[in-house]
Amino acid sequence: MTRRVAIIGAAASPTGKLQTPPDAPLQTLEHEILAPLVIQAMAIAGVPREEIGALVLAMCRPYTLQKYFATFMANYLRLPLKGCIMEVLGNGMTGGMAFDQAINTVALGHADVALALGINMESQAASPEHAMSTMRATGDVDFHTIFGFTPIAWYAMDAVRYMHDFGAARAQLASVAVKNRRHACLNPIAQFRKPLSLEEVLSARPIVEPLGLFEVPPRGDGAVCLVVCAEEVAKAAGTPYALVRGRGFFHDGTHQISDVPNDMIAFAAAQRAAAAAYGAAAIGPGDLDLAELYAPCTIVEVLASEALGLTPRGRGAAEAQAGATSLGGRIPICTSGGCLSRGHPAYVTGLLTIYELWEQLTHRAGERQVANACLGAGSCELGNYNAALIHILEAVA
Amino acid sequence: MSLPFIDMASARPWPPRTSAFSKPFWDALREGRLTTTRGRTSGRLTFPPKPFCPHTWEREIEWVELSGRGKLYAQTVIHAAPAAFIGEAPIRNGIVDLEEGVRVAARILGEPAVDASVECVVLRYTDGPLFAFRAALTQPL
Repeated sequence: MTRRVAIIGAAASPTGKLQTPPDAPLQTLEHEILAPLVIQAMAIAGVPREEIGALVLAMCRPYTLQKYFATFMANYLRLPLKGCIMEVLGNGMTGGMAFDQAINTVALGHADVALALGINMESQAASPEHAMSTMRATGDVDFHTIFGFTPIAWYAMDAVRYMHDFGAARAQLASVAVKNRRHACLNPIAQFRKPLSLEEVLSARPIVEPLGLFEVPPRGDGAVCLVVCAEEVAKAAGTPYALVRGRGFFHDGTHQISDVPNDMIAFAAAQRAAAAAYGAAAIGPGDLDLAELYAPCTIVEVLASEALGLTPRGRGAAEAQAGATSLGGRIPICTSGGCLSRGHPAYVTGLLTIYELWEQLTHRAGERQVANACLGAGSCELGNYNAALIHILEAVA
Repeated sequence: MSLPFIDMASARPWPPRTSAFSKPFWDALREGRLTTTRGRTSGRLTFPPKPFCPHTWEREIEWVELSGRGKLYAQTVIHAAPAAFIGEAPIRNGIVDLEEGVRVAARILGEPAVDASVECVVLRYTDGPLFAFRAALTQPL
């Protein structure tokens, strides 16, 4: 990196149902949700708005009526920008890419302060219709979509293979959902904050076997704004910040599955991205105090935790059930409640990941605070972890 | 030798597009053969078929017939199906490693176990074919 980059402010809406039915007399409008978050995040940052030089927006879902939403927002907020303004799309890693591009803009000196932000509105789209779109995103339209594969169907196959290869029990996988709900109960922005039992998870109606309702992501809306800046700006501001210590990326050159048979559940892209991120940060996985993983399903958290070296290969589910990845455990994972319970407004999930790390590393996380949290990792992905993007953040008080 | 056919009562829920290049694949499938392409120099197979070898980018390729035999690598049953597939739900889909060393995704018939030997069958929908796999009736040698 050409210069060091930090996060000095952040704000997020509650996750859940924000979108109004099309026939509602009063509509919720995206800019009216997002603009107050920008103002709130900038107030925390404590830097003048004139220093904002870039706006990187996680692309909106097609359900958002206003197109070119980034420049619309720049007008709404009256923000002239000397660095850049763009909307990014990276499938599931869209939010993570928005954060990544904001970092780049600052690191390259194009801006001293950049906003990474987004709003994902989709809850009013019925799931079978929504799936008509997402099925075209995860797989080959002419050779996979023809069979009706949905995004989470691929993760379900990971679960089947994982249980086959390592003898993991259904209850071990399911325990990840219970643990994440426990975390979400302590998170004011979480979509679900009512405790969930292992029995409820195991007896839920099947969605993509073997995964039931509570092991797949809920549909929901959400909005986030992160204030990214050069470290010298953060130092001058004099408030606690989170420093970007390392970054790793890898795409394995496949779209959903490799036609060359491989170990699909090794999540090799996440292994490679993690190695790069740890190398850049000059740390190992054992140095982390927490990790916020992009994991739409229970199995995905297990496999990602193994690929990042947070749990041993084949032991991720057992370690989750034993409490190693819970708050208070050896390495707390998804302290926000994760995709399963914090919620999964997919195009901003990558931003919500960084938001949770920011809350933890600046000791704003309240009852779910990881004591003395200093180093945290965040991941996002696309496909079936065909690509992974990992950031390592450090608390600077 | 032709793959077995299974007649379906309806049209394909989401029919594939056919290009001038991919037409031989769908024509062969209609006749009971599962095919793909191989780089002439590299000798490497790929799936779906491509007008070049993705491993070397050589443009000299040849069509080859696959045995349709393989092992079931993974599977799922999709209960929450996209709108077009609700009529077929719940849908059992899976990933199969063919004996030629190629991995494909497809519909799965019956309930074969993971790692079970499977064989390809052609689903003869009213508008055209799709491929699927079922437990192999004859075990490979």
